[in-house]
Amino acid sequence: MRNIKNIARCLLALGIISISSCAKKIDEAFINPNAGVKKPIETLLPGIIGNMVGSSAAAGSAYGTANDGIYIGRYVQFWATNVTGNQYDQMGGATGALDILGSVWAMHYFGMGQNLNRIIEWGTEEKKWDYVGVAHAIKAWSWLTLTNVYGEVILTEAFNTSQLTFKYNDQADVYDTVRSVCRTALSFLNQTGDGVDAQNLAKGDAYFYNGDVNKWKKFVYSVMARSFNQLSNKTTYNADSVLFYCNLAINVNSDNAYARFANTGITGTSNYFGPFRGNVGALRQAQYPVNLLTGLNSRFPGVVDPRAPYLLRQNTNGTYRGIVPNKGASGLVAADRPENYWGQGFDTVTSPTSDAKARYIFRNAAYYPIITAAEIQFMKAEAYYRKGEKPQALTAYQAGIGIAFDMLTADFNANIPPAQAITPTSKAAYLGNPVIVPSAANLKLSHIMLQKYLALYGYGSIEVWNDMRRFHYTDQEGAEQVFTDFTPPAGTDLFINNNNKLVYRARPRYNSEYLYNIAELDRLGALALDYNTKEQWFTQK
Amino acid sequence: MLLLPLMLCVQQTASAQVQTVSGTVVSTRDGSVLEGATVQIKGSTTGTQTDSKGNFSINASKGATIVVSFLGFTGKEYKVGDKISGITIGLVPSDNSLEEVVVALDLKRKPRELGYSTQKVLGSEIQETQRENFINGLQGRVAGLTINPTGGTAGASSSIVLRGFNSLSLSNEPLFVVDGIIMDNSTVNETSGGGSGLGLASDRPNRNNDYTNRISDINPNDIESITVLKGPEATALYGSQASSGAMLITTKKAKSNKLAVQYDDAFRVQQLTRYPDVFEGYQNGENGANANVFRYYGEPYPAGTKLIDNKKYFFKTGFSQTHNIGADFGVKKSVFRVSGSYFNQEGVVPNNNFKRINLRISNTTKIGKYIEITPSLAYVRSENDKVLRSAGGYMLGLFAYPNTYDIRKYQDDAGNKIPVFASNPNLELDNPLFNVNANPSRDETDRYTASLGININPTDWLTITGRFGYDTYRTEGYTLYHPKSFYITQALNGEQDNYWRKYNGYNHTITATAKKDFGKWSTRLMVGTMWQDYNTQMFAIVGNNLKDVTHFDSSNTAPNTRRRLLQNNLGAWNEQVTRQMAGFGEVSVGYNNLVFLNYSHRFEAASTLPKVNRNYNYPGASLSVIITDIFPELKRGTTLNYWKLRTSAASTARLNSPYSTQSVFVDNFASGGGFSYGFVNNNPNLEPEKQQTFEVGTELKLFNNILNFDATYYNTLNKGQIVEGFRLSYATGFVLNTQNAGSTRNQGFEVSADANIFNNTDFGWNVRVNFNKMWNEVVQLPANVAEYYLGDTWLYGNARGGITLHGTTTSITSYGYLRNDAGKILINPLNGLPAIDAVFRVRGDRNPDYTIGTTNTFRYKNWRLSFLWDLKVGGDVFNANKMYLTGIGKSDLTIDRYTPRVVEGILNDGKQNTANPTVNTIAVIPAYLDAYYGANGMPEEAFIEKDVNWLRLRDVSFSYQFPTTFVKKIKGVKSLGAFLTANDLILITNYTGGDPSSNGNTAAGRGVGAWGFDYGSLPTPISINFGIRASF
Repeated sequence: MRNIKNIARCLLALGIISISSCAKKIDEAFINPNAGVKKPIETLLPGIIGNMVGSSAAAGSAYGTANDGIYIGRYVQFWATNVTGNQYDQMGGATGALDILGSVWAMHYFGMGQNLNRIIEWGTEEKKWDYVGVAHAIKAWSWLTLTNVYGEVILTEAFNTSQLTFKYNDQADVYDTVRSVCRTALSFLNQTGDGVDAQNLAKGDAYFYNGDVNKWKKFVYSVMARSFNQLSNKTTYNADSVLFYCNLAINVNSDNAYARFANTGITGTSNYFGPFRGNVGALRQAQYPVNLLTGLNSRFPGVVDPRAPYLLRQNTNGTYRGIVPNKGASGLVAADRPENYWGQGFDTVTSPTSDAKARYIFRNAAYYPIITAAEIQFMKAEAYYRKGEKPQALTAYQAGIGIAFDMLTADFNANIPPAQAITPTSKAAYLGNPVIVPSAANLKLSHIMLQKYLALYGYGSIEVWNDMRRFHYTDQEGAEQVFTDFTPPAGTDLFINNNNKLVYRARPRYNSEYLYNIAELDRLGALALDYNTKEQWFTQK
Repeated sequence: MLLLPLMLCVQQTASAQVQTVSGTVVSTRDGSVLEGATVQIKGSTTGTQTDSKGNFSINASKGATIVVSFLGFTGKEYKVGDKISGITIGLVPSDNSLEEVVVALDLKRKPRELGYSTQKVLGSEIQETQRENFINGLQGRVAGLTINPTGGTAGASSSIVLRGFNSLSLSNEPLFVVDGIIMDNSTVNETSGGGSGLGLASDRPNRNNDYTNRISDINPNDIESITVLKGPEATALYGSQASSGAMLITTKKAKSNKLAVQYDDAFRVQQLTRYPDVFEGYQNGENGANANVFRYYGEPYPAGTKLIDNKKYFFKTGFSQTHNIGADFGVKKSVFRVSGSYFNQEGVVPNNNFKRINLRISNTTKIGKYIEITPSLAYVRSENDKVLRSAGGYMLGLFAYPNTYDIRKYQDDAGNKIPVFASNPNLELDNPLFNVNANPSRDETDRYTASLGININPTDWLTITGRFGYDTYRTEGYTLYHPKSFYITQALNGEQDNYWRKYNGYNHTITATAKKDFGKWSTRLMVGTMWQDYNTQMFAIVGNNLKDVTHFDSSNTAPNTRRRLLQNNLGAWNEQVTRQMAGFGEVSVGYNNLVFLNYSHRFEAASTLPKVNRNYNYPGASLSVIITDIFPELKRGTTLNYWKLRTSAASTARLNSPYSTQSVFVDNFASGGGFSYGFVNNNPNLEPEKQQTFEVGTELKLFNNILNFDATYYNTLNKGQIVEGFRLSYATGFVLNTQNAGSTRNQGFEVSADANIFNNTDFGWNVRVNFNKMWNEVVQLPANVAEYYLGDTWLYGNARGGITLHGTTTSITSYGYLRNDAGKILINPLNGLPAIDAVFRVRGDRNPDYTIGTTNTFRYKNWRLSFLWDLKVGGDVFNANKMYLTGIGKSDLTIDRYTPRVVEGILNDGKQNTANPTVNTIAVIPAYLDAYYGANGMPEEAFIEKDVNWLRLRDVSFSYQFPTTFVKKIKGVKSLGAFLTANDLILITNYTGGDPSSNGNTAAGRGVGAWGFDYGSLPTPISINFGIRASF
């Protein structure tokens, strides 16, 4: 009997030992051994920066401003497709089960969203205030970009991982958030000590500001400036706020906020508009910027802009011509039809194997500007102008053009035939031309907005769209249209769903909202087929 | 085999003339031979046992009586007359159901005790089908079992589902248990979740390639029997891994220590006879005008144009051979069985080959009085040369290639792809022969399985058993896309995926069972513990810019283009570990052998769950009542011999995928690299799925036990389903989400009947019928999720395996025709074509109304014929092949393209829902408006074929056993037989495509998967097998 008791005791002990060791083995197998639930924040930042243009991750690519910019660039007539009947050339919004014009949405909520939150959370734990500041800086920029494209967006309920549906907030709230996030960003970027380390920051932003916190601050001020400038139609508009932040913002080209590319032969390391990624094969320069640069626009009549070889493509005749949205080849004879942006024929839509003929932002390794000093100068010019301080406005205007020229010669000189390159002489001649730079008294809003249009050509589609929407595309200053000669599509050239109205917003991303957040869309009227024409709060009087 | 000491006495009785009497012992139920039956001379000690073919030979004098007995059958006497060879003795299954069945955990239980239905398939039936993947031999043989093969290619995977689909996004495959050891049946999953999981570095959906499902590594010839546990009893015994049922495989063991050798072989030819109808009448072109495109809306072929039937140049006659050898031998109380098998198949598609070698040794040794051990060791090697399928496969190329063009001219002397139209070969579809030759793909697997069984019977009331199993394999494979292939952008210069996958699985089960009778009460108590530890590792790399298209290791790709699974970047491998511990107990009480009550409870802890939810438990109970024994008067007469009622109820749990509790970072390829969150918002608070099943059933034996009848109704509610990968607003910060979010109800009715219509010594006819009807419903989904689907099922066009609340779990969602409130099709007033409803709505349901499998077995003297008819009634199929063919102008729907017509419908002009809608009068001539045949004229809805029925002759086998008198003349041979087996010989269906049994996903696909999606898969070819069986 005692034996049995002993055996039972042994068995019990053995059982307890084995159960506890099994429990330990089970515990060990819980954690994902393949992919981290935590990564150094230094390794999260590069992807977020890439996301500002066009993401490339194992979890999705092409989210970012560049992909939507392809469509918005058509609304502002940077370019058009070389076929007729395309709804985006016709200012149409996305229809059907498509995610078109949803890339900024995906960028903000998915591409950056929780990744930025983790930089803030873990950066705070590690006292890396520079990272925390940069994350807030990008967040502020992203909220503003998001609301510029979509209007009302999910703000207060965003990033709640256990919620099933999400309420939208008013755009005014988003603007408030942008400014408050900017202030938070600045307070962190101003901190020193603890884990703040420029070299360490450079690990994360090597392809942006390379660890320079001061430039990040200027980036934040630039976002602030935008947020005030965009409300020019509001009674609360305060030009001094714009000027205040512009003066602290990016003022020289070397501070330009560029997303840069390593271009190592892997898709994500090359520029979204370059031939390697092959995204702009269907686009051809539109007539509007061509006319602005070749003296055919009635604001700048007869002046050929030395920037044309940088921004535009020639045709086989050696001239510059552009197409009219929804008009295909627009009646141009074959020899007048422009090359595509990679220097191939008008009809070629596939990528060439090299970018040897591509220029400007259409090269694989080109910088992709996010905010530039030129833009700040034009904001400044507009603010002074609105304040009635025309001489100061003219100075900023002139500086803006000069900086825009310098940006091209400094950073976008590749593949420009030497004979066509901007020279100090050609720049001076252009700036000296009273058609371009009039006297302060003759300066119009139109000058500022059109030169801003040219300075932001290609990369600044969203900001240019903001401008055009602020002026309702065809608003006039006195008897003169601000966006001189700009002709939005009309009649059958305007997309049928628009009900004869121009485009003012993009609908939220289809696969995010139109399948899973219907109730809110209904409340906003976003289920209407002409929701894209509903004017946003920020441009309303 | 415990009855080791064979009665092999050669002692002769003194009287009369002694002669050798030989014959075969068979079951009258189905004509199957009975191995191990005892054959004795009445009144003497002379006796023997039947061998594995049921044959015996015994010395007996004329007039002596031979007594044949076998457990579970009524014994029979045979008086030796003039006939001394080729005697067939049929044993009738005993009516009192004493036949013990091995149900599970090696506990032998009497069928009358069981409160749930089980079905058993004999290995001999499976072997008879000659199917190399034994899974495919099961269709129609078990009620409620559905096999969905990927297609007819060699080495294709097959998914298997018992009692329909319960889980929406987890696996619905049953657990495979071989001799008490759990064996892996996974299929390589190509989706790696951005490199964070196990899959290919190219992270693809599971549809363009195929990987064998690993349980097919088992040599069909080693299978003694398969017991199918369909309901919750499987989980009570095997845990949450068996939530979708369990397949218990018992392998063959040596019958005696006397040397016995069996050999059989089979040679098979395969021919593809089913192929979608392809219409050839028009030249390449669009809208009636000739053009150099892969569409056929040009002008009619000029008279006399010679058209080529390219599929004749493509498909070939498949050939395979199998050789099986088995030997039993032994030393005293230790018996061994070794078996080997060689299978080599060349498929009907060029470059599609499958080769498998199996070796296995098993042993049973009795140690002392109480202990018995059963170790075994198995090795299998398989090699599979594969071809691409579905989108990107040869089939679409075959459809699309011009029939004026000889596909054999696919490359020039330098090995370059010859294009048809384009100067750039990357710009046009791959010639099918180029595709199968230049885009090769291959897997090689080596698998070792070791198991050990220990049975200890220290007293007559206590049994202790242990089953310890170790299962490991390594698969290595690649897929190469030629630089000139259409499916790879020119700039990438080819693509190559390489991977290895290593699996290590260990599990053991230890049980102790005590039995005791108290008067009329019988009791049994079982307690046990189980430990499972499964580890799968994978290393995968993909790259571009191929150096050489004839080399397949990963050095073939340019280093700067390589992408890997996350851990591979660090030189390690990705792995997935699942560990589970369980303790369980079962109490059974029987009263007077009439009523049996059984209660079980299981406690588990699983590593996939967060700590707070990690420990869970679930109960099960069943009741069995033998009505005919309670009311014996019912048995008066010969009509009703046995009537049992049974019921069971149990709840079980189903586990989440490992690591679905943690949101993880994946590679980011932006400049500077690094990481970003993957798509999936994983959930740190997951709980196991709770599945509740209720089952009632009855068993009847009628007309002198001629007819056995078994019927079951079951109802399963799967609550709080772990829905993985469902979409919400991106405002969560993610694209896909994981939550305990949905519930489904699955019900069914199963009947199996078995009738021995004729049964005498020379002639027997047995019929078995399995009827199955299932229906299912999604009873809960988050209100804002209008449709949930698995991305893998979105194969072609806009149709996918989507589900909606209160719809079925097997529905198809797709785009369709836009209709007005009265249901009339709306017509676009601009062009007269139908308006399209571009919303995924439920437009089909794949679930059949019912299925019936019928097996007939005829026996006449030494001849045997058996065949299995498989009937499916109802269930929709998305014929994507036809949609594709229609789009390119090659389906018969486009024959009358020049006939003007008005599409019947109402103009979508604003008045469509008024009292006076405008009836469409716009005439179109589709030949000039070929959009008529495109997705904007004929949406996916038009190609979801409704109520697809089939009647298939799955397997027909005809065999002949040479008479003993003949066999005796061949030295050393004990028995000899020959057979002819045909597979998939007849298919009668209302389906207009090749074969409605098609699955667009591989068996790695989860949830309901893409069965019923027919797109670019190979229809099942016809196979004819011929072979011999011999024992020595």
